[in-house]
Amino acid sequence: MSVAESMPDGSSAERQDPSGVVVAQNVSKSFGFTKALDNVTIIGKAGAVHAITGENGAGKSTFMKILAGVYRPDAGRIFIKGREVQFSSVHDALVSGVSSVFQEMMLLPNLTVAENMFLGREPMSRGTLSRRIMMRESRDALARVGLEVRPEWLVGHLTVSEKQLVEIAKGISTDASIFFFDEPTASLNNTEVERLERLIDGLRAQGKVIFYVSHRLEEVFKFCDTVTVLKDGKHVATLPRASLDEDQLVTLMVGRPVQDLFPRRKKCRSSLALDVRSLVPQQGAAEVRLQLHRGEILGLCGLEGQGQREILRSLIGVIKPHESDITRISKEGDASPLVPEAGVVSCLRKGVGFVPEDRKVEGLYPDLSIYENVALGPMNRLALFRLAPRVAELVKKIMKRMHLQASSMGQPVASLSGGNQQKVMLGRWFAAGVDTLIVEQPTRGVDIGAKAEIYRQLRNFTASGGAVLMISNEITEIIGLCDRIIVVRQGLTVFETAGSAATEEILMEYALKDTPPAKGKKKKGAGTSS
Amino acid sequence: MRQFLSRSESRSGLSPSILAIPILLILILIPAAGGFASWENLSNLSSQIAALVIVSLGQMLVAVVGGLDLSVGSVISLVTCVLATEGWPLTLTLPLAFALGASVGLINGWGVAVMDINPIVMTLSSMTFVQGVTLVWRNVPGGHIPKQLPFAAVGQTLGIPHSLLWLVLCVLVLTVVLRHTRFGLRLFAVGGNSASARLNGIPVRRITISAYVVCSMIAVVAGVYMAARIGSGDPKIGASFGLDSVTAIAMGGTQFSGGIGGVASATIGALSLGLISNGMNLLGVSTFLQSAAKGVVLVIAVCAQRRKSVGV
Amino acid sequence: MNTTENTLKRLLSGAWNLSPAYFGTALLIAAALVFRPILLSGAFFGVILRQAAPLGMVVIGQSMAMRCRSIDLSIGGTVLAVTYIASSHYLSGWPGYMIVLACLCLGLAIGTINGVLITIFRGSAVIVTLGMTIIFIGIVIALARYTPPGEVPSLIRYFGSGRLGGIPIAPIIWIGLVIPIVLALRITVFGKYVDAIGSNPGAAAVSGIPYLRVIFLVHVFSGLAVAVGGLLLAGFVGTGFTEAVVGQDLVLNSLAAVILGGVTFGGGKGRIVGPVVGAFMLTFLFNFLTSFGFDESGKLMMQGGIIAVAALIDAAKRR
Repeated sequence: MSVAESMPDGSSAERQDPSGVVVAQNVSKSFGFTKALDNVTIIGKAGAVHAITGENGAGKSTFMKILAGVYRPDAGRIFIKGREVQFSSVHDALVSGVSSVFQEMMLLPNLTVAENMFLGREPMSRGTLSRRIMMRESRDALARVGLEVRPEWLVGHLTVSEKQLVEIAKGISTDASIFFFDEPTASLNNTEVERLERLIDGLRAQGKVIFYVSHRLEEVFKFCDTVTVLKDGKHVATLPRASLDEDQLVTLMVGRPVQDLFPRRKKCRSSLALDVRSLVPQQGAAEVRLQLHRGEILGLCGLEGQGQREILRSLIGVIKPHESDITRISKEGDASPLVPEAGVVSCLRKGVGFVPEDRKVEGLYPDLSIYENVALGPMNRLALFRLAPRVAELVKKIMKRMHLQASSMGQPVASLSGGNQQKVMLGRWFAAGVDTLIVEQPTRGVDIGAKAEIYRQLRNFTASGGAVLMISNEITEIIGLCDRIIVVRQGLTVFETAGSAATEEILMEYALKDTPPAKGKKKKGAGTSS
Repeated sequence: MRQFLSRSESRSGLSPSILAIPILLILILIPAAGGFASWENLSNLSSQIAALVIVSLGQMLVAVVGGLDLSVGSVISLVTCVLATEGWPLTLTLPLAFALGASVGLINGWGVAVMDINPIVMTLSSMTFVQGVTLVWRNVPGGHIPKQLPFAAVGQTLGIPHSLLWLVLCVLVLTVVLRHTRFGLRLFAVGGNSASARLNGIPVRRITISAYVVCSMIAVVAGVYMAARIGSGDPKIGASFGLDSVTAIAMGGTQFSGGIGGVASATIGALSLGLISNGMNLLGVSTFLQSAAKGVVLVIAVCAQRRKSVGV
Repeated sequence: MNTTENTLKRLLSGAWNLSPAYFGTALLIAAALVFRPILLSGAFFGVILRQAAPLGMVVIGQSMAMRCRSIDLSIGGTVLAVTYIASSHYLSGWPGYMIVLACLCLGLAIGTINGVLITIFRGSAVIVTLGMTIIFIGIVIALARYTPPGEVPSLIRYFGSGRLGGIPIAPIIWIGLVIPIVLALRITVFGKYVDAIGSNPGAAAVSGIPYLRVIFLVHVFSGLAVAVGGLLLAGFVGTGFTEAVVGQDLVLNSLAAVILGGVTFGGGKGRIVGPVVGAFMLTFLFNFLTSFGFDESGKLMMQGGIIAVAALIDAAKRR
């Protein structure tokens, strides 16, 4: 078996088959800085399940959303059954025969199943809404997907699995010819997954085109016919499933030139900064135990939505955990309990900083200046009616240290670039003098130059005795920056390794597979035959 | 454990506790307030709450799309003054009243849906402005309502007070609109999640503006009824209807966050509020203490709704 | 020369960024000079200042509330209650300063109730404070029927209508309170938190700001400010009120003044000084219009119009 190579013009070795029902040609899409899709061509055939795989941020969801009408592509053309189409809304796409299952994005919780299925194309009779037709056709569609809910139930009362099936039933009732599934089994149990599988089989037998985006390699290999791999927004390969095995797939997904962005690791101390003896983020979730050392950057990684975020947020009290037993030890060695149940404000007042992933929504104060944003840090532990400390010198020093590009510290942060905004967020905690940082996605939406700067700041922070616990979706960042890495899958910590010993393959294997690779297994490089 | 409630129960805002309120009130008032259960009092009750029920129906429509309309009271006052203009026949004043109501609704809707102004700020300003306009039209109660109208509101046919007929008619019309038209369904969609509704191809702005226009026009209907009932134009007659209608729908279980509400809940809420007023009247409580009591009910009804956000 | 150019540019952009209240005031004074110079004479001007003082106090609390994305519409009820307590016979035996203290405590209490309902029960601030105003107006007017309000104690009269060396006391108290409040908001942690919460409430919680406590205190403080305004008003008029109109007028004007002063829900360039200037401007404006024959109807249309226009401008800026 050989792995297909990419041809210079970006198409795969497999000939572009013009008889494909759906052709997305040279599609590109950027969001600000980030190029989510770069000149991607994908073809979907009737009666086939086409898997789209790739790491976090590879562009899978963006591709789906463009075909579903949520986004408009910056470049490229889309053909359905030979005719070029341009969707200006999801509704347009639906009318053209595209049905998407996006984890309840489109269902309205306060409408019934039947109402949801016909919203936007409500059947009328004699000037009024024909509920009779709605009920009858909904019942039919529900029967065809084998879902035992009644059309008059409110969607808000259904389980995730049932909602998905309602979306599929909606597609069936509109006689859609193209179906999209985006991580459909994320919240399903085994019986529900089997039900979904049978349904997809049925759709395939009816000659529909089915796109299936998933991280779960077992599923990809169980019922997909073709596999497309995307990486960093670019098309890597499109192959028939039969010609691939799991290892080869993983190899295609990872493997990129290492950039020299990361400062050298230093040896970390043995003293602890955080001792998480027990943390149960939600009722029914797994218990997590970990330890963060002084001078260490510890990274949690894994696929999106596997529970890393919940672990972090319930540790700091943004989400109230179900149970927790955490001790925080300061740089000087004072130990005190950290009680996330008491709320995030109490945790943050104990000298722990939290940098959320979404600057715009949860991090920065857009109308306020750089000075005001950073100055809020040192105020954290003061009582309300104390005088606010004058920290202009401190802010200036921090701005200089972090190479924060701005005309002055009076500039409102909304006008700064992403990288500079992220520096303000970190600067706030540096100004506050915390000795432990909890960071989500430290370089999200940040350009290369600023990334290097931020890595350096984090490393300096730990070199002087700080400790950093972070999560990141970028595997290269995790490997390059962290001293220790923990892979999280379904809320469990499944693998731990030193940063220096980690590779993308091994991390991805633990992140992707249900059954971890056997110990002592050698990595398979690209091009070796089995 | 999931609850399989039938559609009308959950989206309408009704629940056993909401239904219990008017029942409890009636049970308390029958022994406590003399003359409560008399035919005369019930007829009075119907004529007192008819206007409130009608206005609350309109308020409910706006609440379903996640807004509020405080200007309905001023619209009612304006309508009574317009109708009472000396020498103007109904054929002129009625269409004029509806046109004015529609304009107020359009402006409210535009401010909220297009300019993204907070509905409370928008309707507070339009309430004030329209009140000013009303005072220009007529600054003391007076004027002359054409003869045909008062009978339509105050009279009786076959022993049934006309106020009850107005009430029932409006309830029926709104029920049809809400349950059997595309517009009604889309109102709920917009209120439930406007982003998802937009993705489904619903013209969210148009629906929102329409809700405000319909609400103002329903307020005009209530104004016509009030004009008939008091027989003259009174520039301050509608003042309390704004907050009263908000109280009424809150008591009926409508959520201000949108997507939940219904004709039954608005009517029951208005009924509950009306019973409280009626009871206090029978017990001889001063009007001012009555409004204080209504204030307490409003505060309780609003705080009983669980919310995540803090502030406005 | 470059530096004079730069200074000029900065002055101009600073002036451009000033809230409408400043322009409005300048325009009004110019118009008055031309059409109604008597309004600028010592006696009249003193009356206008005394009239503006209660509104000027009220906008302090309103501005802080709106900047936190809340609002205080209970002004009418609080003022009515305070003026009633100050002028009724219930406390007729008490010395003047005790009555003042009692009124201030009442304002604090109402503000506290508002704060609790808004931060703990998370009721909509608009409706909660409107409900409170109805409650207190109802209770006070009902009580006023039995025990009509009389004259206010001489101490309060002095505050509201007296003079100190030729200058009316009410604005002295007003400005005398505004200055330390403005300073306090600028230099304390509390003031910075108010700025932050208005700018991004979502971030406030997650970055360690005790935002519920701040909003609660803002409402308590607003109640206190409104009580002071009520005392000044009672002192100006001399007796208590039996009608709710005065209070309702005050609420609408407070909204208009705050918005004119450059404050919007969640921030804006104005803080306290802008709305204070706005309060003066509105009082002057209504006196100006009254001298041309404007009555209640014109006033209401103006109030409604100003609030709408200001909200529109703010909305347009945000896009």
